[in-house]
Amino acid sequence: MFYQNLDNLGWFYSLKVEEFDVLIVGGGLSGLRVAFELADEWNAALISKVHPLRSHSGAAQGGINAALANTEKGKDDTPEKHAYDTVYGSDYLADQDAAMFLAKEAPKIVVELESMGAPFSRLDSGLIAQRPFGGAGFPRTCYAGDRTGHALLHTLYEQCIRKRVKFFDEFFLIDLIKVGNQITGLISLDMNTGELVIFRSEIIVLATGGFGRIYKRSTNAIINTGDGLGAAFRTGIPMQDSEFVQFHPTTLYGTNILMTEGARGEGGLLLNKDGERFMSRYAPKAMELAPRDIVARSIETEILEGRGFEDGYVHLDLTHLGREKILERLPGIREISIYFAGVDPIEKPIPVQPGQHYSMGGIASKFKGEFGETPLNGLYAIGETSCISVHGANRLGGNSLLETVVFGRHTGRLIAKRGKQKLISLKEKEKAENSSYQMVESLFKEWKNNTGKKPVEIRTAMKNSMDINVGVYRAETRLQKALKDLQQVQKDFKNMQIETDERQFNFGLIRALELRNMVDIAEVTAFAALWRKESRGAHYRVDYPKRIDKEYLVHSLVSRTKDGLVMETKPVTLGIFDVKERVY
Amino acid sequence: MIKKEQTFAIFRQAKPDVESSYERFKVPLTPGMTILEALFYIQDNYDNTLAFRYSCRGAICGSCGITINKFPQLACKTQVYPIENKKHVRVPNLIFGEISDWNPENEILIEPLPNMKVIKDLVVDMEPFWKFYREVKPYFDRQIKDEAPESNQSFEDARKIEQMVYCILCGLCWTCPVSGKKKDYLGPAALTKAYRFIDDTRVTEGHRKEIFDRAIAHDGVPSCEKIFACNAVCPKGVMPGTAIDKIREEIK
Repeated sequence: MFYQNLDNLGWFYSLKVEEFDVLIVGGGLSGLRVAFELADEWNAALISKVHPLRSHSGAAQGGINAALANTEKGKDDTPEKHAYDTVYGSDYLADQDAAMFLAKEAPKIVVELESMGAPFSRLDSGLIAQRPFGGAGFPRTCYAGDRTGHALLHTLYEQCIRKRVKFFDEFFLIDLIKVGNQITGLISLDMNTGELVIFRSEIIVLATGGFGRIYKRSTNAIINTGDGLGAAFRTGIPMQDSEFVQFHPTTLYGTNILMTEGARGEGGLLLNKDGERFMSRYAPKAMELAPRDIVARSIETEILEGRGFEDGYVHLDLTHLGREKILERLPGIREISIYFAGVDPIEKPIPVQPGQHYSMGGIASKFKGEFGETPLNGLYAIGETSCISVHGANRLGGNSLLETVVFGRHTGRLIAKRGKQKLISLKEKEKAENSSYQMVESLFKEWKNNTGKKPVEIRTAMKNSMDINVGVYRAETRLQKALKDLQQVQKDFKNMQIETDERQFNFGLIRALELRNMVDIAEVTAFAALWRKESRGAHYRVDYPKRIDKEYLVHSLVSRTKDGLVMETKPVTLGIFDVKERVY
Repeated sequence: MIKKEQTFAIFRQAKPDVESSYERFKVPLTPGMTILEALFYIQDNYDNTLAFRYSCRGAICGSCGITINKFPQLACKTQVYPIENKKHVRVPNLIFGEISDWNPENEILIEPLPNMKVIKDLVVDMEPFWKFYREVKPYFDRQIKDEAPESNQSFEDARKIEQMVYCILCGLCWTCPVSGKKKDYLGPAALTKAYRFIDDTRVTEGHRKEIFDRAIAHDGVPSCEKIFACNAVCPKGVMPGTAIDKIREEIK
């Protein structure tokens, strides 16, 4: 670590600089897997705004998909079938080469996690157990009870401790720094000291997770605010496929905490207020295990047509599974239901409603580049913050944990293969760092001197508009309204006031910086949803209820120019599976 | 009668090693409001510098451990109204600062986790906690491989460690009075983590012994005074004290 003199400020002020060969931002499964890969040979650092074990990967419940073919029921399963289910489930928007890579790596990744110590639930044979999940032809979701994410996050963190990975916990990524089209570092706020710190590196991996907190009703952790995506967007990298927002069908009524798809995988039923198993009307074959977009729309329709319970929920009934099975397979679900809704699922059905859960879209990946490579040289994006795209228009349950580790490993190996790089002169880097530093300081000064609204008012306006206008069902007028609201939100944000002098553990300031990312992401999401005049996967337009491949079998790419947001498109990689209609 | 508003008395400290005080805030109640939501209300509306950690708000990440009405708990899974005033004979009397005018009838008292150094308000320095965690070498030291088959483990052997696997490392178990007085005590969380690996059939003999030997050194299991405050406060039913007891049995 060293300090750099900022001469052009006119007085002596030193800026803290940390220099590494590679930087990883985000301490969830994606980031940890990259760090694990590079820890031996590279001068690498992982920075995260929370301690890595507090990352949202830990909240994943149901499991991780892999065609292990280790049971009687699953013996005919193959990675190709897994890839097919993924592409079919994606409503053909997934890039097929990426989906195939994901599925082929899956059995290796699960075996690898096990060898690292992951405490998977077991079959009587002593092999890793697998449960049925939505949209899958075989039971291929490996699990550790109903706290799979927690188990995997701890396992990978343990391995990173073993490898002595260098962690910078509680450092907030404010902005990326580039010279020309080359990434050179980032500026962060050290939450513990309140100092601005530059991390310098020509290779950066963004693994900053999702951004569900642009919605009010979301299963996501409070920290899921799209910090990497916001920062990448400000450097000029487009957001890809941001209109595809997954609404999980079963989130706990009230708090919207996730109630795993595994609950239905284990036999849980969905019932409306008349006690009817309504999925028979929407997906007669797959029933409760249709993909998430379809189940979410079905529940929403039941509620809209008056067959939900009073305030807008339906029942997830596990009572018939019996005490034993619930305690063995779904103990976490039981605990959450008891603590957060006062309902013991052994005795009573759980009240559930759809809620934002996952973002299929994210940081655009480079057309014809390596998986995870962005259009900015040296910058990679993986996991939920990226759009590689393996999930297309709808993600299958059990594929997100898989994606994090598969592409974490892949990107680590890719970086190792390509080698260290130093292309930009120190002088140019320092110049870019200084201007980034001054930009942040003047932003903080502005926020302090502004006379506009508080962050909470702006955040609430954004979330409300997203919930009401950019939800499960979408239409032209509502989306227009959303865009108008969000443009107002942008204006209000520019005049937002907040105390910025006190910087040590000033979480109010951190949340304002998070809001800076979210206002862009929300606006782009509404903009892209308005542009896509078709229905595909999770994006359902009541005014355009059909999928229109001729026009829209493309990835959307939104950037900001001086004239506002602009839309471009990018072809979907096809060629392995024929494009068909999607029915369940 | 339904209560509309709740007063909170909150521990405030601007930075490490300075004097602390208590500040009172009134929060309008919403149905099902949690302590964490109330803290956000205060941060959003009264004082954006109020510091507390948070992440998942679903009792799985382990960030938001604080002391509520003198009992360490997770802020996200504790309801404001009606507040359940937890008490346990094994949980000692916890003193953080001077608040002789606290009215337990009408005010909810919010304080940081015990036996950890305050950095700011409710944010404590958890580095000593993580240091002891790292010291027990809580990881598999096998060769990493990715070719099938996976190693075999019976259904029962996998179930046996599940309870300990569920530990979220929130630090509430540092309520332990020994953690308070003996600064080198590994503490309930690290020792439970040690037993999670000792008891895992897949761990190599060499590494199992290494973890075991570390756990039974003088600053480990023998320092435990069987007070079981850890079991009383654990929000996930991990029962650290019971895990420590099991290591103790294996010493014999």
